[in-house]
Amino acid sequence: MSEAALPSSIKIAPPPAELEREPLVRNQRGIGWLSDQVAAIMEGKTPTWWWMAFVPSFGFMSLLGAMLIYQISVGVGVWGNNHPVMWGWDIINFVWWIGIGHAGTLISAILFLLRQKWRTAVNRAAEAMTIFAVMCAGIYPALHVGRVWFDWWLFPIPNSNGPVWPQFRSPLMWDVFAVSTYFTVSALFWYVGLIPDLAVMRDRAKTTIRKFLYGLFALGWTGSNRHWSNYEKAYLILAGLSTPLVLSVHSIVSLDFAVSQLPGWHTTIFPPYFVAGAIFSGFGMVLTLLVPLRKICKLEDVITMRHIDVMCKVTLATGSIVGYAYGMEFFIAWYSGSPYERFAFINRAIGPYAWGYWIMIGCNVLVPQLFWWKAIRRNVWIVFILSILVNIGMWFERFVIIVISLHREFLPSNWSYFKPTWVDICTFLGTFGLFFTMFLLFLRFLPMIAISEVKGVTPQADPHHPLGGAKEGGHH
Amino acid sequence: MKTIPPPCPEPESGPQYWRSLEQLSDSPQFRQWVEREFPHGAGEMSDPHSRRHFMRIMAASFLLAGAGGMGSGCRRPEEKILPFGKAPENYIHGVPQYFATSRPSRGTAFPLVARSNDGRPTKVEGNAQFPGQAGGTDVYTQASILDLYDPDRSLKVTQAGNTRKREAGIDFLAELARKGQSSLGAGIAFLSDRSSSPSRHRLQSEILAKWPAARWFEHEAVDFEVHREAARAAFGPDPSGATGMRPVVSPVYRLEKASRIVTLDADILGSEEESARLIQGYAHGRRLEKPTDPLSRLYAVESLMTLTGGNADHRLRVVPSLVPAIAARLAQEVLRVTGALGEAVSPLSGVAGPASAHEKWIVECAKDLAAHKGSSLVVAGYRQPLAVHLMAHAINAALGAVGTTLELRPLMAPASGSLPELAALLNRGQVDTLVILNDNPVYSAPADLDWASTQRKAKTVVRLGFYQDETGLAADWHFPATHYLESWSDGRTADGTLVPVQPLIAPLFDGVMELEFLARLAGLPVTSAYEIVRTTFKAQSLAGDPEQAWKKFLHDGYLEGSAPKPVAASFKVSALVSSLASLTPPAPASAEKLEVVFFRDSRVDDGRQNNNGWLQELPDPVTKMVWENVVLLSQKTADDLKLQIVDREDNNLRVPWVRVILAGRNVEGPAWIQPGMADHTVGLALGYGRGKAGRVGQNTGYNAYKIRPAGSLHRAAGAQVQFLENLHPLSTTQNHWAMEGRPIVREANLEQFKERPDFAKGMNMHEPPGLRGKDGQLEPLYQNPLDIPGPDGKSPRDRATHAWGMSIDLNTCVGCSACMIACQGENNIPIVGKNQVSRNREMHWIRLDRYYAGEVADPQMILQPMLCQHCESAPCENVCPVNATVHDEEGLNVMAYNRCVGTRYCSNNCPYKVRRFNYVDYNRRPLHLLAGPFYTTPLLHSTDGEWDLIRWWKNPDRGIRPDDEWELLKLVKNPDVTVRMRGVMEKCTFCVQRIEQAKIAQKVKAGPQGNIEVPDGTIKTACEQACPSGAIVFGNMKDPNSRVSKLKAQQRDYTVLEFLATKPRITYLAKIRNPNPAMPDYAKSPGSFKEWEGMGNKLGHHGAAHGTPGGYAADKKGAH
Repeated sequence: MSEAALPSSIKIAPPPAELEREPLVRNQRGIGWLSDQVAAIMEGKTPTWWWMAFVPSFGFMSLLGAMLIYQISVGVGVWGNNHPVMWGWDIINFVWWIGIGHAGTLISAILFLLRQKWRTAVNRAAEAMTIFAVMCAGIYPALHVGRVWFDWWLFPIPNSNGPVWPQFRSPLMWDVFAVSTYFTVSALFWYVGLIPDLAVMRDRAKTTIRKFLYGLFALGWTGSNRHWSNYEKAYLILAGLSTPLVLSVHSIVSLDFAVSQLPGWHTTIFPPYFVAGAIFSGFGMVLTLLVPLRKICKLEDVITMRHIDVMCKVTLATGSIVGYAYGMEFFIAWYSGSPYERFAFINRAIGPYAWGYWIMIGCNVLVPQLFWWKAIRRNVWIVFILSILVNIGMWFERFVIIVISLHREFLPSNWSYFKPTWVDICTFLGTFGLFFTMFLLFLRFLPMIAISEVKGVTPQADPHHPLGGAKEGGHH
Repeated sequence: MKTIPPPCPEPESGPQYWRSLEQLSDSPQFRQWVEREFPHGAGEMSDPHSRRHFMRIMAASFLLAGAGGMGSGCRRPEEKILPFGKAPENYIHGVPQYFATSRPSRGTAFPLVARSNDGRPTKVEGNAQFPGQAGGTDVYTQASILDLYDPDRSLKVTQAGNTRKREAGIDFLAELARKGQSSLGAGIAFLSDRSSSPSRHRLQSEILAKWPAARWFEHEAVDFEVHREAARAAFGPDPSGATGMRPVVSPVYRLEKASRIVTLDADILGSEEESARLIQGYAHGRRLEKPTDPLSRLYAVESLMTLTGGNADHRLRVVPSLVPAIAARLAQEVLRVTGALGEAVSPLSGVAGPASAHEKWIVECAKDLAAHKGSSLVVAGYRQPLAVHLMAHAINAALGAVGTTLELRPLMAPASGSLPELAALLNRGQVDTLVILNDNPVYSAPADLDWASTQRKAKTVVRLGFYQDETGLAADWHFPATHYLESWSDGRTADGTLVPVQPLIAPLFDGVMELEFLARLAGLPVTSAYEIVRTTFKAQSLAGDPEQAWKKFLHDGYLEGSAPKPVAASFKVSALVSSLASLTPPAPASAEKLEVVFFRDSRVDDGRQNNNGWLQELPDPVTKMVWENVVLLSQKTADDLKLQIVDREDNNLRVPWVRVILAGRNVEGPAWIQPGMADHTVGLALGYGRGKAGRVGQNTGYNAYKIRPAGSLHRAAGAQVQFLENLHPLSTTQNHWAMEGRPIVREANLEQFKERPDFAKGMNMHEPPGLRGKDGQLEPLYQNPLDIPGPDGKSPRDRATHAWGMSIDLNTCVGCSACMIACQGENNIPIVGKNQVSRNREMHWIRLDRYYAGEVADPQMILQPMLCQHCESAPCENVCPVNATVHDEEGLNVMAYNRCVGTRYCSNNCPYKVRRFNYVDYNRRPLHLLAGPFYTTPLLHSTDGEWDLIRWWKNPDRGIRPDDEWELLKLVKNPDVTVRMRGVMEKCTFCVQRIEQAKIAQKVKAGPQGNIEVPDGTIKTACEQACPSGAIVFGNMKDPNSRVSKLKAQQRDYTVLEFLATKPRITYLAKIRNPNPAMPDYAKSPGSFKEWEGMGNKLGHHGAAHGTPGGYAADKKGAH
């Protein structure tokens, strides 16, 4: 049946242009262009910018190694942690990196289940970011302990020490399970999503070694219907598995604090507030990474302004949740009637670390409010700067929670002040080195866009679209 | 023909199976048949040298050879075992032994009991058997054990800096003796410290009798002799001329009998001589159970902020030069009211004038004293001139204190000259040979004597000293002195009782005992110190078998009845009148003309314990500074001088560096604003800035001796302070001063206590309904599994025999800090260094929190010992991921160091912050790295010419310590306590090693069916044992009659942060102040109470339903 056969009275008018959604891939780019453009960065000569980024990143990663060797050989004392601030940059950075690691799996799992097709352009890079961020995060709890060589005591491994088991009442114990599960599932999810694209890379490979390696990891993918059918089932199952993890891992990290009885930590609001904050910081980091990348890799037609706009909106929403949580914390502290609770929050706002608190409020509460304006959401420069401010703000949120709560608590005789040492700073810089080294290697050797998934959301993939489907032959 | 070998002789093992009856019978026929029928392999059944057997043997041999080779790397280190051929009597390996001895200190000696672990002394305690002494000690004594093992102590005899054999030194002494003999001592001068030793006095007399031309001088940088001299002048006989001995009178202040005490610049609870004994007496008067119990009252007149002033009910802050006037006015007033010694009133008025500003204070104080005639006491401090002491004694005489609160014990002391006299002699070139005993005048002599060059005017300088210090280096011959725990000697306590100084260990190095040194120097026939002491003792000995008496003397640590009888003498007004004439009226102090106070440091004494790491790291009880002294100024003085000291509560505290100029000399140091300090007064602590100390003491603090004038040793006028720069970093263990209105230390005035005996519990936080469980107890956040009842309805804790608990009485605790050092010694707590303290990483398990309340100019000081509270529902335990900190049934919050991985979460969740973390390997860190700036990694460092990693690998215990440190400092460790490595958390264990020892002893004693409950008072924690005031009491809370249960049942009992429901096993008894309502500075409630009220708090009502009854036993009763 053709359109012309319908009576004109029931002919459906096309939607007005202003209601037409922006296409997910601009400029009607074809399927072949997509493959070529995404593969270009992996197949061409190593770009100069890549080397310019990689060499310092690798340098900082080496610095991380040196700092960790120094710290392990001397002791945690090389850091600024003191008494009473027994946790300093180690746990701040752990929570910060873990928080960043939230966007990837949220984008790939939750948005997948919610059929948010725009995710396809950003999910691969976001997942890679997640995995590398969790790696950076994992360094801290593993190495911040006094005796790293006994870290395995935190795992329930049968042993001859008694036998002594870990203490399952401790939130740190829960952390071990939460973070390791999250990392495992995220890595698996990422890899499964990579398989069709690895096959693409194998098929395009010109050298034997590339063909062999991509082929090895593509697991013999042929793109048959059976493969696709199994693949999509597996992907759906992993998405389902990852979804609760997105919520659980930061909830459990927040319990490290909420389970204690320290004013400023002992707060029931923490689990949802931490998850919102993590998504907030994760999206901030995705924006920080992708805004320059889409330009450098000439992928503006795949990662469009619409994508950036949507991510800004998520940032605005989660930032507002975080702001609400800050306000609610103050209210509860007042409502509790406990002078110790009240003091903890007043001390945040006007104590010796007030500057840290107000940086946090500025970056996390005020800055995202700018995203109410479309003009700002659509200005890549502003978005880039604001996304960095979001990351800074979220770092200070952890600083506020950990250091400001600890430095002045119950007995005034213990009150003290925390200052990082150069080792703290270099270790933190070193984790950036590790992160960017890994991320740059990812860019160079793996497709940063999920090629097959983006192809699936192009008009060409839609049989009902004028551009899509097998036009010749029509329907039989 | 085949021969059939005999059956295999190897014993068979395991069950034997047979396949046929023939095989079972194993007849020769069968064997032959087997040989014939089964040619393959059958021979093996009977051949002892079978192939399999061969393989088996060879395999085992290879295995053993291999294991041997491999095992050589894994074997325990080879140790030569030297068992006792015959064990010494009463010696059980591993069980410590205790010996009585005493620590000589200036003109007195403190009776002690020392613990010896397999022949090495590891701890000293007060001798509780000594009459009138409960067993407490002071910080100097507690820390003195570390001096014994100081790797920087003088080890060898040296001549002009070159090491000599000990024999060479002895020969030199013999030669000196011959020379002295021929010249009859002409040109020989002795300079010694003060000593109470009768043996030394005897040797001194013998030497001076033998060498009549020789002269003897005594010098102490901080000298308490003025107390004895004043008591003699006021009450005693006049000094007689010719004989070598002079009479003195030792005033024994019986604070326990005093209900009203006035101190005139006397830090009786801190830096005065024998403060431990004074604190014990003071605490006696401050102990109370009920509001109606008598409570003593302390008035303090002082210029520095001291523990005495901080504990006083009334404190008058004055410049030091005003103290004589106040003493005079007070004396006048007391004499007027009592009507005694009327002839002294008018001479006093010449001095009393400047005190008019404090008229009302003095008059009311005098009234109060007079109202308590016979039970009041006035004490003048060592920094005050003789006249002030005489005025104090005049008041004491008028108040009838002599014989009650003031005992006068007549003693004889050798007559000797002073340091300025010796300087004059030296300057006249009349000293050929100068012999210096112990004293360190090159460091501590007054600046205007220019001692280093004055001393050089003697041809030969011979020195006996514990350290190769400033004087040792300037001497021609230096002899290493022995530590008192290595020496034979004797001494007299403050009341004159004879006590022995017994060695617990043979001299570790080439040390020479003081008595032996003197005997050899004088060429006496008997040179053994032991014999000298015995001879002296024989002369002292009372009736009875002298051998038995000697044994008893050494065993008990004192000679009973050897104290001279107290005299009841009348006050000599003439002495007072003549001394008043020597007083010059004070010029008013101003910002341009400041008064300077030189005082004994609360940690390193006059510098003698400067190289003692425990003391260096002990925070000053008032300033809380460590590792150095500061220039103390009041806020007003600093304002007048425009000095900005911004206390940023920052771990990188930086203060102005100032220069103090006095009479053309100057010294530079860091300025510090001390609340409660007198205006226009500069406080300079002695004892720091040593020119030559050891690895610990080097470069700590400034040297106040550099500007100390000979004319006025303790206070001087006309000083100036110049601001230099704002740079010097200080390390303090407590950054915040105020209690912020929190009810942490709870205190009230006596009247308030009478009104509301339950005020301490009334200060508990208001509790919203619904927080308590069915049993009326607060529901803890962290339920302890040991509290969960079993099938019999009893929890493991209920079934335990003991419930350990502690009560700390804030009313008797004066903050002397002896507990901190005792704990450090008992529990092998490392020192961390100034740099680490600036990060608040000090390791003390018990600390003394010091808060101020009120104005900066005149604050009230509040002290609180804080240590692991052993919470029943411990927040630390729940959060440890590896079960490293858990509870035991008896209520100890135990710490398994071996299990700790160091996540530090326990400390974060501890509301009292009493857990300490080994951030680096403090126990293995070499002493020279203490100063910082930071620890190098062992990967890039070597020690004694060896790569640190190899060193560590060879001996992990020694780590990277140089051998000399390691070999000595390991000896001081208590073998019953684990030495913690880096990365583990540690904290107070309630001295679990002492608990276990007592429990084992009790089990042995109890036998199979006996009572295993340890009797009350058997276990004393180290802090409790060292505490001179008896403020800390440990015991079994299950026993309702134990001391701790009774204390916890008192109404003053309260829990710190009770609203957290952590249920600490340590509770505190609230502090009661006893101000005089008639005084001008009277306030209805203490400053901290007012602050608490200022936060909108009101005393709540805690009836039976709400109240948390004191004892554990009572607790449980209330539950059912």
